[in-house]
Amino acid sequence: MAVSPGILQELRKESGGEDLDLSWLDRPLAERGLRVAPGKRGLTLEDIATSSYGAIPASTSNQSGRMRGAAPRSDAQHTQMIWPSKAASWSESAMLLYEEAVQRQWSSAVDVPWADLPDLPEEIELAMSQLCTFLTQVEFIAGDVPGKYAPNVSGEYFEIGLFLASQIMDEARHLDVFRKRALANGIGLLQAGPGAIGLLTAQDFTEMASTLHLVGEGFVQSMFRMGEMFAQSEVDKRMFRLAAQDESRHVAFGVMHMKYVIEMQPERRDEIHTYLDRMEGQLGTGSAQAGLTGGGQTGEALAILLGGGTSETQLREGYLKLLAIRKRQVNEYMHRLEVVGLGDRRQRMAPMMQALLN
Amino acid sequence: MADSETQGQPQAAPIAPEIPGIPAPPALDMSWARVPTARPAKPTIGAEGFTLKMADAGEYAYAPDHWPYENDTPRGSYPAKDRGLPAPYTIYEKAEVWAENCADLYEAAIREQWKPATQVSWSSIEPLPDHIEASLDQIFSNISEQQYNSNAVLMGWLKEISYGYHEVKLYLATQTFDQARHVEAFRKRALANGGGLGVQAPGFLSRAVFAAFKFTELTVYVNIIRTAFLLALCERGDAIGRSQADRQLFELTANDLRRHLAYGVEHLRHYLLQGDDAKRRNVRAWLERGEIMLAADLRRDRPLREALILVLGGSVQAGKTALRELRQAQLRRYLRALESATFVGHEQHVNPALTEIIDNP
Repeated sequence: MAVSPGILQELRKESGGEDLDLSWLDRPLAERGLRVAPGKRGLTLEDIATSSYGAIPASTSNQSGRMRGAAPRSDAQHTQMIWPSKAASWSESAMLLYEEAVQRQWSSAVDVPWADLPDLPEEIELAMSQLCTFLTQVEFIAGDVPGKYAPNVSGEYFEIGLFLASQIMDEARHLDVFRKRALANGIGLLQAGPGAIGLLTAQDFTEMASTLHLVGEGFVQSMFRMGEMFAQSEVDKRMFRLAAQDESRHVAFGVMHMKYVIEMQPERRDEIHTYLDRMEGQLGTGSAQAGLTGGGQTGEALAILLGGGTSETQLREGYLKLLAIRKRQVNEYMHRLEVVGLGDRRQRMAPMMQALLN
Repeated sequence: MADSETQGQPQAAPIAPEIPGIPAPPALDMSWARVPTARPAKPTIGAEGFTLKMADAGEYAYAPDHWPYENDTPRGSYPAKDRGLPAPYTIYEKAEVWAENCADLYEAAIREQWKPATQVSWSSIEPLPDHIEASLDQIFSNISEQQYNSNAVLMGWLKEISYGYHEVKLYLATQTFDQARHVEAFRKRALANGGGLGVQAPGFLSRAVFAAFKFTELTVYVNIIRTAFLLALCERGDAIGRSQADRQLFELTANDLRRHLAYGVEHLRHYLLQGDDAKRRNVRAWLERGEIMLAADLRRDRPLREALILVLGGSVQAGKTALRELRQAQLRRYLRALESATFVGHEQHVNPALTEIIDNP
């Protein structure tokens, strides 16, 4: 919808109007005339993904900064680093999850009732501080990793970039809240572990979604959702609940990306299985941090929290509960695999994880 | 210290496995509880809650000039003997990223987060003459595009910054999220009122942002040059906007941009004060490059120039006068930021390409 020629003529005739070009008004190259009204959830990304602005291309040659639907210009600067394929990063849930992330932001400073933190037996407080040392160490890796790929996401698929920013914000808050918890009750940070740097070795967005979202964050999400079992106060319960809600979005994003890739590029199945082989190896055997039932400082701290102390009976109970958490982690992982179309992984799963399947 | 309480723990026997194939958990060890880390005082929670600055008190506040650990070891924890893979981080020097105000800006950003979907009065937008709506949409499209560039590139830099400076990583996470909301909010506005997106930007400054070799260079382009110019524009939101929603958008965005500028100024100040003449020369080179690229964008972006003229004035002539005033205000914002960062006297050295487009927009 062009601006009326009469108005343009009047503008050009005005004093000072002689150097106006106005061709961008006369012959607009982007769709005009759109009028999007807010719905019950306000004005959302899904609302504005309509008409030509909602036509998300399967591939693009756009190597400039042009956003989907904007009019191109011939002298725009190119970078040659933009991924041309939608399947490279797309997740059908990105718009919804981004909007939810914006609505459900929380503050570690005021939304956790820190003033109510009770004095705990020292062995319990030590264990919580150790768990939180582990969590503050690894949580922002889940910000560094998706950030690595953000510069490659085209403006044609900008919703993915926005979601990644929301995940980075969430992970920052997780680093922050677990650090604060370790520092809140007189103990402080304790023993760092090998961490989660390995996740940064991902060389591809789908590899990242497999290793970070499907496995890493999925396992953390299951653990946080069972936070009631090892939380020692309302402060801890609230902290794990809030973090779990964030992790659910990250996992959902990854699941929907994997589902899209497997539907659109079924030839990548075997490749994706190899990423999972590697991650399951780490989770099942290699890493003392992540091998929750196999011990390590985090496993021991969790067992103490779950059992309520360090006596033999308490520790036994703690490790049994930890095994229950581990079972839930593995079974929820299997469910995600089925959702994305990798149900055949049940037969291929690392033996120590397979043993925990229902 | 934890040592005295945990050293004498009786060693329990390993616990028998419940599921075949799952190894039995080991006997109680708790060596992690005996590491010599600092025991912080319990905080007194005030009206602002438990802030990062309160948490990182005493020894935990100390961020060394050089961070020695090549993985994700949290500052203040006891490093693991087996630290696994050295990470791909490249920034281990405090001078390259630090700003004293990071922790405060991080908490402020969280307090001040806004929600474009529901906190902007979208229903306050009334139909406008086509050429005014199209001009507004051209301006909104430009803001959305430039913030997407800043956002995408900045996210890519997070993996470069080592864990000794977690306050910086946390603050930058809020900046990326702010920028994401700017991308979203201005796009929504462009599509909300009978318009649509305008013409893309030439992208010279965006290209420089992509091409930054150093983090401080990126900060000069994004947090100083681009933010100063965009902030001055948003601060004229009353003159540009035509509805309550428009004014809210500009006001809320300006509030975010003041934090981004504050980080940029404080980081640049730290970089300059910690360094030698070479650092000052670096900054001069980055400013010159950024100014040339910005000038190239402004000179070539006819749709944006004309949109601002049509929106800012009741007539073309008045619009041109207002555009010159806007450009001068943007330059002043930029120069003031540099002065605050201790880079004084730059007024005389602004690249002629930029002064030309400021004087004759």
